Amino acid sequence: MRSRLQLGDNWPVLVFIALLAVLIVLKGRFTGFDARSLTVNALPLALIAMGQFLVVLTRGVDLSLGPIASVAGAVMALTVTDHPLLGGLAPIAIGLAAGLINGLFVARLSMPPIIVTLATMSVWQGVALIVLPDPGGAVPAEWGAAVSGGFSSPTMGIVGQLVVIIAGTWLLSSRFGLHLRAIGGDEAAAKMSGVRAVNVKLVAYVLAGGLAGLGGMYLSISTASGSPTVGDGFILSSIAAVVIGGVPLSGGRGTALGVAMGALILTITGSLLYFADVSSFYQSVIDGAILLAVVGSAGARDWLRSIAAVRA
Amino acid sequence: MTATDESQPASAAPRPRQASWNIRAVAPAMLVVLSLVLIGVGEFLAPGFATAENILQLLKLASYMGLVAIGQTVVMLTGGIDLSIAWVLTGSAVVFTALCQGQDANMPLAAAAAISVGLVVGAINGLGVVKLRISPIVMTLAMNNIMLGATLIYTGGTPSGAPSPGIRALATGNWGPVPAMVVVWALIAAATIVAIRYTRGGRMLLGVGENPRVSYLTGIRNDWVVIAAYVICGVSASVTGILFAAFSGSSFLGMGDQFVLPTVAAVVLGGTSMFGGRGGYGGTAAAVVFTTFLTTVLVMGNISQGVRNIVFGVAVLAAILAQRLMTRRDDRLEGG
Repeated sequence: MRSRLQLGDNWPVLVFIALLAVLIVLKGRFTGFDARSLTVNALPLALIAMGQFLVVLTRGVDLSLGPIASVAGAVMALTVTDHPLLGGLAPIAIGLAAGLINGLFVARLSMPPIIVTLATMSVWQGVALIVLPDPGGAVPAEWGAAVSGGFSSPTMGIVGQLVVIIAGTWLLSSRFGLHLRAIGGDEAAAKMSGVRAVNVKLVAYVLAGGLAGLGGMYLSISTASGSPTVGDGFILSSIAAVVIGGVPLSGGRGTALGVAMGALILTITGSLLYFADVSSFYQSVIDGAILLAVVGSAGARDWLRSIAAVRA
Repeated sequence: MTATDESQPASAAPRPRQASWNIRAVAPAMLVVLSLVLIGVGEFLAPGFATAENILQLLKLASYMGLVAIGQTVVMLTGGIDLSIAWVLTGSAVVFTALCQGQDANMPLAAAAAISVGLVVGAINGLGVVKLRISPIVMTLAMNNIMLGATLIYTGGTPSGAPSPGIRALATGNWGPVPAMVVVWALIAAATIVAIRYTRGGRMLLGVGENPRVSYLTGIRNDWVVIAAYVICGVSASVTGILFAAFSGSSFLGMGDQFVLPTVAAVVLGGTSMFGGRGGYGGTAAAVVFTTFLTTVLVMGNISQGVRNIVFGVAVLAAILAQRLMTRRDDRLEGG
């Protein structure tokens, strides 16, 4: 059982390596530039998905993380040129505050996360449109160079991915991470063993908001501008990355490494389709199918077994 | 508010249903009152707003949202959610106009093909949720993505064709002084309310959402009830897609996106519990009317899209807060 569990934890890594191998074969080469695009393009998703992961561990879901990233990125693009310090800190503060609002409603008032974050999603989409009605603003090029490195050097992208994976793994192995997993596993039991479930959940939503703020910052830095709708695509993909990374939506299990791989897998499928000369129309079909195959495989196995058992 | 709650004896016996009574009655009534207030505000902003003719036009606009919301209500009564309606609606509309080509003679076949889109996607959603144990939010988001891609592939990026004059007459025309769609919606709404509350199927639906185990022990085949709920939702999205394409004069990509969150919000505002088992379509219909009036008044007051989004989100938060305050404590604990 133990060895199966470990394979279960690590299979997203294998899937990613396999997809990477296919990409290299299709392209015929894999340069520093390719490595840079992959790691840098996947990083905003990795950050936001890591936030989603913390929430999913508590059996929650956060639909507002994408729009929070939009607001954070918009604020950064508007302020950072004139006030570098404000532009660097405000997006994170906004993310944390937005997460706190979600957390208060979900954890303190025990309201359903889907509806709470659906409502705050609408609110933050509105705020983003007010702050920055049209794509614009600017982020100085030094920020881009500092965060994502030169155009052909993958170093900063790889460092970024490693920082996310290591920080996530550390957080999960901390006392807070233990409590987080305990709540997702069995909230009543966790409470009885002294876990302050309400506070732990609240912190999960706050950190998720902060990570979405960071993701939004990173998006603005790498595009050197802001857009009020840049985060909308992450509403689904952050959940998809978590699920493809081997984390069940029923909470309690999963690894930061898996989630980072989920983000890389979702990013690499886009390039794969491009180099396999498949119309980009197929991208969303394939993303959806991968998602269903991953989350449905265990259920499908049991269902087929139960059908076989009835026949026998 | 909890003082009176706790005076109720806690017991393992089946709960009495009084708790859901007040919310079910209060939420729609409150929404009707608020809608009347909005008509007053509209009349203040633009004299002539509160005429019967204008109100009927607004109800015609609301009818499309109202029809999709039937499916969303049914699914949410089982404790699920359907986020795939956006591209089921668009996909059905695209299939309909492509096969209809503006000819009434092609309409029956085109409508059947379009409705089968919703039927199939709904069945897949239901099977995925029930048999593969995929959470409704992931299942329907993934199906939404798949339908998005399928629609792009089917149309090559550009929807073609047009609705026929017959269906256009239904979607845009009047029967006497009343828009045909308002009559259609009123009839279907009445049938839905009655079906959920008084028929065997409706009671099975409420039973599965309220307490799946008890419902199963009563001999109800929960799985098929839930699958049927998703099928109903898919079909209602398809039918709305056909009618909305007829209303717009053509089908276009992304035409279904505007329906997803407002329908979920309308179901919640209308007093249906997120945990399933309680609520009904009456509240949803009232909420659809309310949100349509609200949007119209905000547009008339020159309120920007951004502020409208915020108002919308805050309204939903306020509604669930009110719902929570009005629901008995033991109901909530069990629902979680």
